Amino acid sequence: MLSVVVLAVALLAATSLLMARMQGQVRIIGAEAAPQASTAADLYFALSDLDAQVARLVLIGRTPALAGSRIDALGTYQQRSRQIDADLQRALTTGTTTADRATVLALMNQLAVYRQWTWQAMAVESQAPPQPPGTLPPAALGYYTQATNVMHLDLLPAAQRLRDSGQDRVDRAYTAERVTETLGIVLAVLLGGALVALLVGLQMWLARRFRRMVNPALVLATLITLGLVVAAGVVFAVDGSRLRAARADSLSPYLALSRSQAIAYDAAADTSRYLISGNLAYYREDFARKSDQVVVDPGMLDRWRAYQRDHERIVALADAGQVAAAVDSLTGIRRGDAAFDFSYFDAAVSTRTAAHRQAFDVSLRDAEGRLTGWTVFPIAAMGLVILLVFVGVRARLREYR
Amino acid sequence: MTRLAPVLVLVLALAACDPGTGVQPAAAAPIACATGSIQAQGSSAQTNAVNLWIRNYQVSCPGATVAYASVGSGAGVRDFIDGTGDFAGSDSALAPADRRAADARCRSGPVVHLPMVVGPIALAYNVAGVGDLRLRPATIAKIFAGTATAWNDPAIVADNPGVVLPSTQITPVHRKDGSGTTDNFTRFLASAGEWAYGNGSTWPAPGDRAEQGSDGVSAAVAETNGAIGYVEWSYAQFHDLDTARVANGAGEFVALTAEAAGRTVAGAKLTGTGNDLTLTIDYRTAVPGAYPIVLVTYEVVCGRGAPGLVRSFLAYAASGPGQAAAMRQGYAPLPGALRERVAAAVAALR
Repeated sequence: MLSVVVLAVALLAATSLLMARMQGQVRIIGAEAAPQASTAADLYFALSDLDAQVARLVLIGRTPALAGSRIDALGTYQQRSRQIDADLQRALTTGTTTADRATVLALMNQLAVYRQWTWQAMAVESQAPPQPPGTLPPAALGYYTQATNVMHLDLLPAAQRLRDSGQDRVDRAYTAERVTETLGIVLAVLLGGALVALLVGLQMWLARRFRRMVNPALVLATLITLGLVVAAGVVFAVDGSRLRAARADSLSPYLALSRSQAIAYDAAADTSRYLISGNLAYYREDFARKSDQVVVDPGMLDRWRAYQRDHERIVALADAGQVAAAVDSLTGIRRGDAAFDFSYFDAAVSTRTAAHRQAFDVSLRDAEGRLTGWTVFPIAAMGLVILLVFVGVRARLREYR
Repeated sequence: MTRLAPVLVLVLALAACDPGTGVQPAAAAPIACATGSIQAQGSSAQTNAVNLWIRNYQVSCPGATVAYASVGSGAGVRDFIDGTGDFAGSDSALAPADRRAADARCRSGPVVHLPMVVGPIALAYNVAGVGDLRLRPATIAKIFAGTATAWNDPAIVADNPGVVLPSTQITPVHRKDGSGTTDNFTRFLASAGEWAYGNGSTWPAPGDRAEQGSDGVSAAVAETNGAIGYVEWSYAQFHDLDTARVANGAGEFVALTAEAAGRTVAGAKLTGTGNDLTLTIDYRTAVPGAYPIVLVTYEVVCGRGAPGLVRSFLAYAASGPGQAAAMRQGYAPLPGALRERVAAAVAALR
C-alpha cells in the first residue's frame, strides 16, 4: 500500500513537473527564442531596405517628374526607420546575453551615424542646381558612399550577428525541449509501468487472500494510471513532434526566406547604386554575388530572374550613357520595368513568408493548447488512484477483521 | 471576364516594399481579375494612388496590363474624348462642352464621373516656436494675398489665443505649375469671402515664392523659417512638416486627418444623376470635425462600353483594400457610404 502511494506520488510529481517544464520551454520557443530570431531577421531586412530607399532618394534627387517616386521612397524610408527602431527595442528586451545587448547598443550608435551621412548626402543634393536623375554632385556621392559603407560594413554585419544569435537560441530551446520530452516519456513509462504492476500485484494478492476475483476500486485505479501514462506519453511525443515539424516546415523556411528577401532587396538596390556611382563595376559584381544567394522556390526564382534581366538592361543603358532611360526603366511600374518586376517577385516571397510565420504561430498555439491543464491532471488522477486504492484495500481489510 | 486571383495574404510584420516603387505589398483581398491591356491618362494629383493600384492589380492579375500617364486633367480628358484613353483621371467634373464630346465618344451610354481619390490639402508651415497653429479661412486668405506679412499679425494672433507668435516675416509659398491642388485651394480661399483673386489651376494672386510641384513647395517650406504653403497631404506627412488646424464653417479648428477630410467629402452634395457621381464640395462645411480643404478627383469613364479590364480595375480601386492602399500613400479613403455608391456605380458599368 505504501509502495503504491509512493509510486503514485512519484508519477504525479514527475509528470506534473515535466509538463510544467515543457510548457515553459514551449513558451520560451514561442514567446522568446523564435521572436528573437524573427526580430533579428526583420531588422536585417529593414536595414537592407532602408539603404535601398536612400539609394533611390539620392538617385531621383529633386527631379519634378519623379516626385511621386520620391514621396514613395520617403514614406518607405520613414516606415523602415520606425520598423528598425521597434526591432532594436524588441531586440534589447529579448536579447538574453550581454553580447547581444552590446550589439544592439552598437547598432543604435551606428544607425545615428548612418542617418547623419544619409541626410548630408540629400542636403547637398537639394542645394545643388537641378540635375537630371542619376547625376549627382560629387559631395552627395561621397556622403552616400560613407552611408552605404556604414550600412554594409557595420550595421548589416551586426544585424547578422543578432540573427545568428537568435537562431542559436532557437536551437538551444529545441534541444532543451527534446530532453524534457524524452525524460517525460521515459519517466512516465517507468513509473507508470511500475505503478500498474504494483496495482495488478495488489489485485492478485487480494484475490488470492480474500477469494474475490475483482476489486472494482483497484481496477479503476489501474485504468486511471494506464490512462494517465498513455495520455502523458502521447502529449509529450505529439507536442515534441509537432514542434519539430513546425520548426522544419515553418520557422526555418521563414527565416531562410526572410534572409533571401533581405538579400534580394539589397541586391536590387545595387542597380540604383550602380547608376549613382557613375557605373562603378563593384556594384555590378556585388549584384551578381548577392543574386547567387537568393535561394527561393522555382516560381519565385522565375520572377527574380526577370528582375535580373531588368538589372542587366539598366546597366547596359547606363554603360551606353543613356542614364535617363536607365532611371525610367528602374522606376517604372510597367511590366518589364524593374520596379514592377521586383514587386512581382516580392509579392510572391512576402506571401510565402507570411504564410510560414502564421503557420508557425498556429503550431505554437496548438502546442500550448495541448499542454494546458497538464500540471493539474496528474495530481487529480493520482489523488484519485490513492483514494481508490485506500477504498479497495480498506474494504477487504475490514472484512478480514 | 473574371477569375479570382490567388489570395495575396496581408503581410504584417514583414510588410515589405520594393526598392523600386517603395510601396506596400499587393493588396490583401482577392481581386476579380480581367485580362487585356488598357491605357488611361490624366490628373497628376491622383497619380501616386493610381500607380499603386496598377502595381497591386498587375501583381495579382498576370494577364492584365494597365498604364496611366500623369499628363494633367485637361490632357487626360482630351485623350479620353479622342478615344486614346480608356478612362481619364480628372480633378474636376467635365465642363459642359467636354461632357457633350465625351458623351459622343461613349456612343452607347453617357460618360460618368466616379469620385475615386480623396486628396486632402495641407497647410504646411515652418515657424520657430510654433507647434500648433490654428487658422481661419479669412486669415489664410490674408496670408496668401500678402496682406498679413508677419506671424504676429493680429488676425493670426486672434486665431491662436495664448500662443506667443514671433514677428518673423511670413513667406507664403505657392505652386509655379498649374495644378488641381491650386484650383481647389483657391476655391477654398474664395469661399472665405475675403479673397479677391478668384480661383484657377494656375496661381491667380501675387506672391514671391513659387515652386514646382508639391515636392518643391514642401522643400521650400522645410528650408525657410516663416514659410507656409499648401501641399497634398502626403508631402506634408512624408516631409515631416507641421500642418495647421483649419477652421470649418462651424468655427471649429480641425487638424488634418483622414477621418476629418472624409467628413467633408461625406457632406459634399451629390450633383450628378444615376451613376454619375459628381460632387460639389462645401468648403464652408459645418459638419462637426470636418477638415474643409479637400480635393476629390474622379475617374471619367463610359457608362456603357467600358472594357472589362477598366471595370475590374476600377472595382479594385473602389474596394476597401484599394482605398486602404491609397491611404498608405497619403490620401484619405472615400467615406463608407460614398465608397459603396462608387462601388455600385462601377458594378453597373457595362
